[in-house]
This record gives sequence, structure tokens and C-alpha cells, in this order.
Amino acid sequence: MKVKLKNVFVIYFLVSVIGLMYALLQLGQPCDCSQHLRSASDLMHGKDKKISQLLSEVKRLQARGKDSELEGQALPVIYAITPTYARLVQKAELVRISQTFLHVKNFHWIVVEDSPVKTQLVSELLAQSGLRFTHLHTETPKEHKLKESDPNWLKPRGVEQRNLALQWLRENRELSEEGVVYFADDDNTYSLRLFDEIRSTKRVSVWPVGLVGGLRFERPLVEKGRVVGFYTAWKPNRPFPMDMAGFAIALQLLLANREAQFDMLAERGYLESSLLQSLVSIEELEPRADNCTKVLVWHTRSEKPKMKQEELLQKQGLGSDPSIEV
Amino acid sequence: MPKRRDILAIVLIVLPWTLLITVWHQSTIAPLLAVHKDDGGDSRRDLAQGSDSKEYCLSDRDIVEVVRTEYVYTRPPPWSDTLPTIHIITPTYSRPVQKAELTRLANTLLHVPNLHWILVEDSQRRTPLVTRLLRDTGLNYTHLNVETPRNYKLRGDMRDPRIPRGTMQRNLALRWLRETFNKNSSQSGIVYFADDDNTYSLELFEEMRTTRKVSVWPVAFVGGLRYESPKVNAAGKVYGWKTVFDPHRPFAIDMAGFAVNLRLILQRSQAYFKLRGVKGGYQESSLLRELVTLNDLEPKAANCTKILVWHTRTEKPVLVNEGKKGFTDPNIEI
Repeated sequence: MKVKLKNVFVIYFLVSVIGLMYALLQLGQPCDCSQHLRSASDLMHGKDKKISQLLSEVKRLQARGKDSELEGQALPVIYAITPTYARLVQKAELVRISQTFLHVKNFHWIVVEDSPVKTQLVSELLAQSGLRFTHLHTETPKEHKLKESDPNWLKPRGVEQRNLALQWLRENRELSEEGVVYFADDDNTYSLRLFDEIRSTKRVSVWPVGLVGGLRFERPLVEKGRVVGFYTAWKPNRPFPMDMAGFAIALQLLLANREAQFDMLAERGYLESSLLQSLVSIEELEPRADNCTKVLVWHTRSEKPKMKQEELLQKQGLGSDPSIEV
Repeated sequence: MPKRRDILAIVLIVLPWTLLITVWHQSTIAPLLAVHKDDGGDSRRDLAQGSDSKEYCLSDRDIVEVVRTEYVYTRPPPWSDTLPTIHIITPTYSRPVQKAELTRLANTLLHVPNLHWILVEDSQRRTPLVTRLLRDTGLNYTHLNVETPRNYKLRGDMRDPRIPRGTMQRNLALRWLRETFNKNSSQSGIVYFADDDNTYSLELFEEMRTTRKVSVWPVAFVGGLRYESPKVNAAGKVYGWKTVFDPHRPFAIDMAGFAVNLRLILQRSQAYFKLRGVKGGYQESSLLRELVTLNDLEPKAANCTKILVWHTRTEKPVLVNEGKKGFTDPNIEI
């Protein structure tokens, strides 16, 4: 047969139409669908079961979360007042205690800088700490400030700062809000159990403090659940011969006594007494930490880092990069 | 002028192809046809299931995400199967501030996931103080002890001054790691020497987790400077040391300034800190030179420009009143 173009076209047309019909038939195949549908529905059932399992798991965890939330709402807030000032170890000290505070539920950190402005170092540290905080600042007047060469006990430190924090609490908190106030210096060491003891404060609670007053520890003496005296070797005749880290005050007590604050002009060692004597008597003190027999807080102090090489370099104008924050 | 016949011919050629192409575009038919070429109806069913299960998988994932975000914070964080374990080696010795130092270090470590604390006491026996403390923290720990020999010739309880403090304890921890972990095991781990009086940011532990051999970073308050740091060039390699005290040491770095991959420790099983005859400041080099060369060091902390660890030291407490007029009570632990 002669290969005419017309024939080629006809054959081509037929082949393509057949191909198209075939494809359309494939699309319209009904028989396999039932099997496909059955297995798909089995799959759906399996997934449905898993979904319902996971949903009930979510409900359970939400309920548990709510319980602890309720617990959390009932837990009095612990306000830790930390005065701080710029020196080499400041950032390290604040980092360290923030890591301890991060474990404490319902915790509010009030950091008061001895500075005319809020410094970037402290602002950034607080923002990254993950804690609930209030950032305050007030500068100690020059006549009350320690000089570099002064021994650290010469003038009372942190007085203006702690008083500012008390003022902030009085302006920003209501009598109805349950809370406990604790003065936490930035170089001490706090165990986590301490905060459980702090939280149960009704008026003023007390406990031992380690490594203070020239002793391994200082502590209140307790008989029949009441404080009857103090185990302390240094100036034991003070009204309250205790360290700042050895007591906590109920927020309501501070709000009810709006005039109670630390006395700037108090004699050495009498700072704590200057606040407490207007709030509570010795009989009313609540002993904690197993009737004041366990040490849960230590009055540690950090060494001043040696900067001999740094000073030599700076004299030559080759000091370390000040933009690298230490 | 194209003839009607020609137009008809062109239309007849093009029409089936356009119909076919429009049908091809429908996704259901293309895979169906493709599969049908290879296999029977089974694979087509599987494929249909596959596309369905993809949708279900998505919804599974959504629900699982919800559950994860509802997780309640636990202390220490739950163990993860994907993070390498950080083995922290801390030598410690008995002194008044010991419990305080270990307490605050433990409070820091409790935030770090997949952490294993190896605490080595410089003592003849494991003390009850440390035993109780470790147990009460809830951390994953190993408690070891080895006593640095005392120099009895000197008056009082002085340790042999020829052996730098903490060396025997760190070496014991290294030996423990080598005896406990199989060289060929796939367990990933990082080893870090953390003294009990330093200060560590939580970011530091995440930086060291990606250590392949030995990673390094700056340390504050060492060598009489604000900080000492490795020198890093533009290519991200360590080429020297920014220190004043003997910058020509092989590794002019503090104990707190480097971390080693556990595999390297296990492979170089004879690498230890040199016990005797080590010049001041060369302790770290005595170990590192057996593990790695300068070129292999990995700089962390933003190419060694951030301070994530501070070599703080705690003042020795003044205990002048102890023993006076009956002021001593050994029953209360500090």
C-alpha cells in the first residue's frame, strides 16, 4: 500500500484517540475503589483512636497544669530585694544567684542598683534571666559611700537601695496580696529549701546563717518553738543580733507599718535591728529551719579579682577590649 | 489561504493531545497511570493510603506539639535522646565554704539537660556531707574520692605542694570515664572540668555541646586580667593566646576555658594531667598537648568574644570567734 500522508494522519488520529479512551477508562475504574476505601477507613479508624488517646492525654496534663496553677496562685509571692553596685564581679554574682532564683516558684526579684541610672549590664541581665523582676536604682549620697580603700564595714551599704525597694512595694502592692519580703545580697549563697521556709512566714521568721559574725554560723536559740535568745559572738546585746540574710518579713506587716525602714545612721551591726524593732518583738519571731538547727543560707563573699596585669596594660594603652562585658 | 481540509487535519491532530494533557494535569490520574505501569492495583492502593496518611500524620504532629508545650518544668530537665551528655568533673575538698560552693554550683547545674556530674573528693573516704548533698539535689551524679598525699614533713595538714590541687582527682575522673565507657560505643559526650568556686552561665553548656574535638572560649578574672582569651583569625581558627602570663605556653588557657569530646578522651587513653614537675600554668597544656593541636581547636562564644565563665574565688571566711567561750557546735553542718 502506498504510504499516503492522509493514511498516516488517519492512523495517527486513531492511535491517539485509542490512547485517550484508555486513559479515560483508567480514570473511571470503579472496582478497586471499594478495597481502597475500606483500607482507607481502617486507617482513619486507627488514627481516630490515636487522636482521642492524645486528646485525653492533653486534657489530663491541662488539668494537672491547672492544679499547680491554682497551687501557684495560693502560694505567697517571695519578693527578694537585692541591692547591687558596679564592680568586676557584679555580673558573675548576679548570674549565679539568678540561676538559684530560677528554681523558686512565684518569685519576684527587686534589684536596686547603687547608680544614678539603670546600667545596661543589669538591664540586659534581668531581661535574659527569665525571672519576674523590678529594676530600680538610687545613688548613695557621697558622704555615706565607701571609698575604694575603706574596709567594707566602715559604712552601712545598700541602705538607700533597700529602703527604695520597700517604698516601691508600699506603692505597688495591696494589703490583700500575700507575700514575703527577703533581703538577698548578691554575694550570698542560698539553698532551695530556704525559700520553702521563707514562704511560710506570718510576721517575721528567722533561721541560722552560715559563715557570719566570725563563727561557722549564727542562729537564734529556740525553746518550745519560741526564740529565747541568740547564738552570736559579736555584739550579742543588739535588739536583733542577726544578719540581713537571717530573717524574712511578711509583706502585709511592711504595708501596715509604712514608716518602718532601715536607718542610714545606725551604728555598725544595728542595721537589721533598726528595721525589725518597729515591726516585731523577739517573742513574736517565728523560728524556721528545724527550730533553727539547719543552715540553709551562707554569708559567702567573693574575692576581689587580681587585676595587676590589666592595670599594667592599661597604663600602656593596651587594656582589654572594654566592649567585651565581664 | 489555508484550506479548510488542512485546518481540519490540524485540529484532528491537536485535539486528542490537548484532551490528554488536560487529563494528565489532574494529579490523581498521573500517579495512577505511572504506578499502573509498574505494578498492579496493590501499589495504587498503597499510594492512595500514602497520600491519606500524610494528612493524618500532619494532624498527629499537631497534637503532639500541643502536648509538648504543656510540659511542666522539672528539675533537672528530662533526659533527651538526642543531646550529647555533658560530663562535668569537679574536684572538691573539705573547708568551711565547701557546702555553700557545691550548693550553688548544683543550683546552676540543675538547669542543664543531659548533665552528668562527676564529683571527686580529696579525701580518704567519701564524706557524709557530700554524699547527702549529691543525693538531695536529684542530679545525675558519680561520687568518687582520692586523697592527695600529705606532706608530713611540713607542719600541719599541708598537701604535697609538688602536686597541683585537684590533679589527682581530675585524673581519677578521667580514668573512671575510660573504664566505664567503651571506646567503640556510639555514646556522644563532652567532658568539662568545672571547679566548685567558678561561675558558669547556662549558655556556656550549650556552646560546649557541639564540641567535636576540643573547644575553647574566654575566661574572666584569670592571669591578672579582666579576661584571657584565645586569639581567633578571620578563618575562625585559633592561632595564639591573648594572655600576659606566658602566652607562649602550648595552651595558655585556664581549666575552665576548654571542653573535650568524650570520644577523644577514650581514644587517647593514656592522656592525663601531669602530676609532678609541672610549671605553674602548664597543667592544662600537659593534658591538651596529648589530645589535640592548636589547629584543631574550635572557638566558641561568638569566636571568643563573649564571656560565659568567670574564675570567681570565694573569700576565706573569718572564723575568729570559733572556740571562744563555748562558741562551737560541730553538730550543725555548714
